[in-house]
Amino acid sequence: MIKVKGLNHSYKKDGKYAVNNVNFEVAEGEIFGFLGPSGAGKSTTQNIMTGLLQLQEGEVTVAGYDVKHIKNEMFNQIGMSFEQSNVYSKMTAKENLDFYRKLFDVETREPQDLLDLVGLGDKGNIRAGEFSKGMKHRLTFARSMINNPTLWFLDEPTTGLDPSIAADIKDIIRRENKKGVTVFLTTHNMYIADELCDRVAFIVDGDIKLIDSPKNLKLQYGEQLVEVEYIKDGDVVKESFSTIKTEDKNQLKDIIDKYEIQTMHTKEATLEEIFIKVTGRGLK
Amino acid sequence: MKKMLIIFMRDVKVNKRDFISLYILIVPIIFGIVINLIAPGVNDTTINIALIEGENIEMQEYLKDFAKISVYKDKAELEERVARRDEVFAYVPDGDGYYILQQGDELEGLLDYAKMMLAFYEDDVQIEDSTAEIHDFGRINPPLKRLLLNIMMMFTAILGGMLIAINIIEEKIDKTIRAIHITPISRTGYILGKSIIGAILPLYGSIGLLLITGFSDINWYQMMVLIVVSMVVSILFGFIQGINNTSVMDAAGSVKMLFLPLGGAVAVAELLSDKWQWIVYWIPFYWTYKGVDEILTYQSSWQNTLIYGGIVVGISAVVYILLIPKIRKGLE
Repeated sequence: MIKVKGLNHSYKKDGKYAVNNVNFEVAEGEIFGFLGPSGAGKSTTQNIMTGLLQLQEGEVTVAGYDVKHIKNEMFNQIGMSFEQSNVYSKMTAKENLDFYRKLFDVETREPQDLLDLVGLGDKGNIRAGEFSKGMKHRLTFARSMINNPTLWFLDEPTTGLDPSIAADIKDIIRRENKKGVTVFLTTHNMYIADELCDRVAFIVDGDIKLIDSPKNLKLQYGEQLVEVEYIKDGDVVKESFSTIKTEDKNQLKDIIDKYEIQTMHTKEATLEEIFIKVTGRGLK
Repeated sequence: MKKMLIIFMRDVKVNKRDFISLYILIVPIIFGIVINLIAPGVNDTTINIALIEGENIEMQEYLKDFAKISVYKDKAELEERVARRDEVFAYVPDGDGYYILQQGDELEGLLDYAKMMLAFYEDDVQIEDSTAEIHDFGRINPPLKRLLLNIMMMFTAILGGMLIAINIIEEKIDKTIRAIHITPISRTGYILGKSIIGAILPLYGSIGLLLITGFSDINWYQMMVLIVVSMVVSILFGFIQGINNTSVMDAAGSVKMLFLPLGGAVAVAELLSDKWQWIVYWIPFYWTYKGVDEILTYQSSWQNTLIYGGIVVGISAVVYILLIPKIRKGLE
């Protein structure tokens, strides 16, 4: 569904690249996570793929269309939910969706259905300018589905949403994906990437450092740990032990035998920890 | 084309909800009515005569065909009226005749007119007594009206641009331009769609102004050429203002700067001799003013109209070419 080969982009065309020799492919029906800290080149790559930025160097094919010579009909097949909500504040939620649906040449979804889907069903006749940040974000998300996209770009889709609404949004993404929609998810939130993505790419300073599935990454880079809190000489002590290393296993046995255990649970390495391990950088 | 109309209809819908935009949409009609109210017609008199109420009904009837008559209760009120700032003469009864009361600073010509009118009344001179034949050029509109109309037509073009600017600024504030670019409408289509409202305002505004102010017998084909040219200026101005400003108030502030070349072009065209006209050749408004003025005075020719229109389009094209990179970047 997406093919990116040798992608370079320099904003000032001065040899300093925001993305540098980026290569990856996204298969049809896949949820692909593009992960990296702010300024890593995520948005630049996404903007080139969606035609918002002009392709300078490299080959990019999106939904079968060459982005070098972009055709307007390509946009009938793609949807995009922006990180910063961008809806017309002087128009109602329904008018916003109605306006956008008329710009597409394909069958579109009913605005009311989409509003119901994102929990704004009873807010259709309210101007978006009166919406909270989270409601605007949901409206932006709903709009990105209006043309039944086969390729769906999602930029930080759960940012600023409360946990229950974020969970609803994640459910919608899963449901759409099950219908066959390919999802390109840009985020610096490793938890949502871990939950949703079939594969993830780590990008830092314009370079893709790694591409793999979260499961493989955990197997490859993660370490199974047991975290124990116990009482020793009247103090609470907290320690982590590997479940693989013999020395750690023996130490853990010893603690269980000798001390009063307060809490004990297994801990899997998170994508964030793996990201830091692989790239040497945090995600903020 | 359909998608351009969708963009246009959205702009209309939103503009109707915004006070400034709504005001801009209806202001040409208000301008037309105001011009009619403040600009005198050819039949309007240039002299005001004050009389004592009921003192001489016959005189009042006689004079009302030649002057604007106002009546007052007694001599004291009459004197008070004459003492005010504007130019009013009073015919005050004095024995068998009248004396003329004035402030003292009135124009001599007006005083002579007041004297003559009194003499005509006393000698019972009627219009039918004149043997003069009337020949005219058929002009029915006075210069002040023409001047105001011409300025207001240019102003309408600026307001059309202002509407475009307001709509672009709205897109910038709401960050919706990027969302539009992820739809199948081309960027050219989007720009043209955004331009329609700014082009329609000078069109309907100018036609409305011309009809309301009574200039319905002009050469409409030539006028349409200049109105279309005004649309080009309007669109260009709208995109420049929309892209360079981040709020409607900023844009409104920038618009004030445009009044300088507009006013300058009119002032030079009206007040300076031919050898100084070149000073404002670079201002598109100068050429539209000249063209419209010739049409309103029935002195236009196709050659001149096309030359003036061509110059305006040429100047606009140069400005557009210089600003293409900025306009494109601003709409990304």
